[in-house]
Amino acid sequence: MNPRKLLRIARWEVQKNAGGLDRRTVAITVAVIVLFGAVSPLIASGGAGLEEDIYRVSVDEDSQYYGVAADDPKFRIVDGGEQALRDGEIELLIDGSAIRIADTRKGSAAFSEFRDSIQAYNNEQLAMESNQTAAFPIQVTVEFREQSAPGRDNGSSTGGETTDGSDGTDGGTTDGSDGSDGDGTDSGTGDGTDGGTSGGTDGGDGTSDGSAVGSATPPLGDDEISGSPADINPPFPFQSLVLAFVFVIPLNFLIQAYGSTMLSERLNRRGELLLVSPVSRLDIIGGKTLPYFAGAIAVEGVIAAALYYIAQGGFGGAISLFAITPIVLLFLSATFLGAMFARSFKELTFITVTITVVLTSYAFVPAIFTDSGPVALISPLTLVVRELQGEALSLSAVAFSTLPPFLTAGLFFGLGSGLYREEDLFDQRSITGKVLDALAVPISRPYHVGIMTIVLIPFVFVSQLLAIALVFPIARGSPEIGQVLILIVVAVVEEFAKSLHIYAAHSHNTFERTRRVAVVLGIASGIGFFLGEKIALLGQLVGLSELDLARQALQGGNVPEGPVVVLFLFAPLALHVVTATISSVGALGKRRRYLAAVAAAIVVHLVYNLTVVNVVA
Amino acid sequence: MRNQLSALTSDSRITIAGREITALSREKTIVLALAIQLFIAAFSSFLVVGLTSLYDPSAEGGEIAVGISGDEREKLARVAAETEGVDPTVYESRAAALSEFDNRNLNAVLHTRTVQTDRGTRIAVDVEVPADSLETTLIIVRVRELLLEFERQERRFRAESLEFSPVDMPDEQENTDDFTQYFNFTYTILLPLLLFLPPFISGSVVVDSVTEEIERGTLELLRVAPVSLTEIVDGKAIGMILIAPLQAILWLALLWLNGIAIANAGLLLLLVTAVATLTVAIGLFLGLVTGTRQKAQLLYSTLVLLLFGAAAVLPEHPASTAALLAVDSPTTLTVGHVAGLAVVAVIGFAAVRQYVDGLDPESL
Repeated sequence: MNPRKLLRIARWEVQKNAGGLDRRTVAITVAVIVLFGAVSPLIASGGAGLEEDIYRVSVDEDSQYYGVAADDPKFRIVDGGEQALRDGEIELLIDGSAIRIADTRKGSAAFSEFRDSIQAYNNEQLAMESNQTAAFPIQVTVEFREQSAPGRDNGSSTGGETTDGSDGTDGGTTDGSDGSDGDGTDSGTGDGTDGGTSGGTDGGDGTSDGSAVGSATPPLGDDEISGSPADINPPFPFQSLVLAFVFVIPLNFLIQAYGSTMLSERLNRRGELLLVSPVSRLDIIGGKTLPYFAGAIAVEGVIAAALYYIAQGGFGGAISLFAITPIVLLFLSATFLGAMFARSFKELTFITVTITVVLTSYAFVPAIFTDSGPVALISPLTLVVRELQGEALSLSAVAFSTLPPFLTAGLFFGLGSGLYREEDLFDQRSITGKVLDALAVPISRPYHVGIMTIVLIPFVFVSQLLAIALVFPIARGSPEIGQVLILIVVAVVEEFAKSLHIYAAHSHNTFERTRRVAVVLGIASGIGFFLGEKIALLGQLVGLSELDLARQALQGGNVPEGPVVVLFLFAPLALHVVTATISSVGALGKRRRYLAAVAAAIVVHLVYNLTVVNVVA
Repeated sequence: MRNQLSALTSDSRITIAGREITALSREKTIVLALAIQLFIAAFSSFLVVGLTSLYDPSAEGGEIAVGISGDEREKLARVAAETEGVDPTVYESRAAALSEFDNRNLNAVLHTRTVQTDRGTRIAVDVEVPADSLETTLIIVRVRELLLEFERQERRFRAESLEFSPVDMPDEQENTDDFTQYFNFTYTILLPLLLFLPPFISGSVVVDSVTEEIERGTLELLRVAPVSLTEIVDGKAIGMILIAPLQAILWLALLWLNGIAIANAGLLLLLVTAVATLTVAIGLFLGLVTGTRQKAQLLYSTLVLLLFGAAAVLPEHPASTAALLAVDSPTTLTVGHVAGLAVVAVIGFAAVRQYVDGLDPESL
């Protein structure tokens, strides 16, 4: 790679790329966005608009419930008696103080909404009372407190905090969780002198955090909530949602432009001129990507700094920016790979939408489970949330959140650049053909198969993490279903990751199609996977492996102590080699035979995992 | 009349529309599109079901153990004994309750204090809940229910100090199914999302289809083919407009199979067709004006998003119209909106056709 050539291509890309954006388009876009900003208060003012009038209620004006129905836009007051209720023209019929409900789901939903409305209406009316003590006789403060048996090692952590405090710099910024942590242990260990003061700072910090972020619901986790009982709402991941949108939406526009420019190189052999010029393809790809990457980082940097300024009132946001970087790279790399695969603009559009949807859920879903630390950390957005709340972040948490997406982005760029050559760029082959090409190009010797398997592991890891986050709520409801689901995902993803490139290599006739070769390739792939799988140890850094679900996904069950440990160390190796060999032999044949073999390998893998899980349990 | 009909069926526009759709199925992109929409539907349902299961007290069995201490502990304990899902224990001191809490024998500690104000006394309740527990949400929900009931009782005791007498809270309905809590979401968010996504994608595909012909230079082949630019554009548009209500039918059927009643399906499909006609007209126009995908797509997505947001100035947002129709609470205004949108769509499309008529294919 030659930095000067790379920068020159980057400059061209900015100045006059093939299908580029001119000033007028940018100006119109900016104008539209500004206009959008102008109308957004209007949209927000119609907040309940979507639910407006969906339930119909018949109520007399002298009923005590009249005000409730009239005040809530969800309800529309109509005339009607019992006949209307039976005919499904109204959902609620209020007769004096009796409420009659239509015998439909809509009726039940209407009634349950109506109860909420009564609550809200009462509080609204009572807020205008002159005697607020009688109106709101109960005042609640909810504190989040670490639950731990006295005498556990929290004592040492309290010690650590005290020295931190005496440093003078950290004291002011200790966050809610640390405060309550200290509080909890203090009373637990009977050290009464500190309890009052640390509790006090805890409370103060809690309120300041809450107001700083400016939402009615408390920020994720550790702050306290106070007010009348109706104000006590469980922490809602509202912020993660907002953050996901604030950070991710600009990326969606960016990848549209980036995908277009990459694909338009492939139209009418436009890219040929650059390909035959004396620059390497990495210069071309790097040069064409750099402006978009730089633009994205600039935009996200401004967003991060602005959010940090709003939340903490100072300058910062470096960790947020660092956490967003792998997401930016994932978006760009996936789009690049997609643009290499797509045959037409239409196809690219669908690929772009898929990327958007999948990556947005990757960024957002784990962040929902804020009260379960390790799962939330799957998404780098959690790092952003925590930095904005002024919480301390451990290096291991940062590594766990960012390393897998970084490596996956690298993998995507690597695979895509393998296709950045004449015979693939200007060829109209199906997406499957292109995928196989991308995988087969780097393989020329048997041991390359093993290396390729290792290279694919970050992708496997990221998919499994996403699966854990998605299955997590199901597993809470019923652990068995969650367990089986996750094991199925693991088996499918891993078996394809171990064998797809072998099939690709055969379709390129890289190796002889004999059983012996198939076994060698299978063993290489199996060993590669066994070695590469150790990236899953990352999960232990943040304690993700303490979660049953994650342990099953990432390590295939518990590892017991004692003499059987040797068996358990090598059993996975044997498993991966055996299943990879099954698929590898199948890959000698046509597609149908390969898929059948992979299916067999998946079943073996699944049976093994279920056995391990059950034996150990 | 018959002549017109046969002219229409053998029309080159229909041929082109057919080819556009076949191209989508050949590239399997339509499969991808459906998969994406299914994913989005599943994803948003998952969000709601997952989140409500975190919040819903009835979703998970088992009571939460609550320690009650302080001045008003007996009063609160009486309320707690009558509240579902709460298992109260009274403690003499807060410290005693907290130590049980720390030993994980209690899910929450409620410490009561009477506080004097200038207008009487108030009861302050200090609640401790676990900081890092998956059950925290559920615990808070249950504690909230308990305290709300406590508040209602206390208000009753102080009724003479209040000018407004709070509206009676009716008892909860028994035997409601789980669906009740997702009802709002299904009709006001999920359904509009599923109905408006296909038109958005249709417009985007038209942008691709037009700009690709221009960028690849295949539109020049027009000069030797016996079709006019308007016919080609019509063909592309018809295909993409029709595919939107087809997808909508699929989603409505899927919802229906899941036991979600959808009313006014005909009007809903008309609404989707009207919106698709509008987005396709916008996509066509932008594609022809800019001639490059990058510009056209960027403008298209920002413009359509803006229009969707700006539709809030209407008396009823189109998403709300869809919700009201599906949930069977439409008013004359709702039906009027569908008709209005259909008229706007026809006018918009006619205007774009007018523009295409005046275009010289060689200038593209």
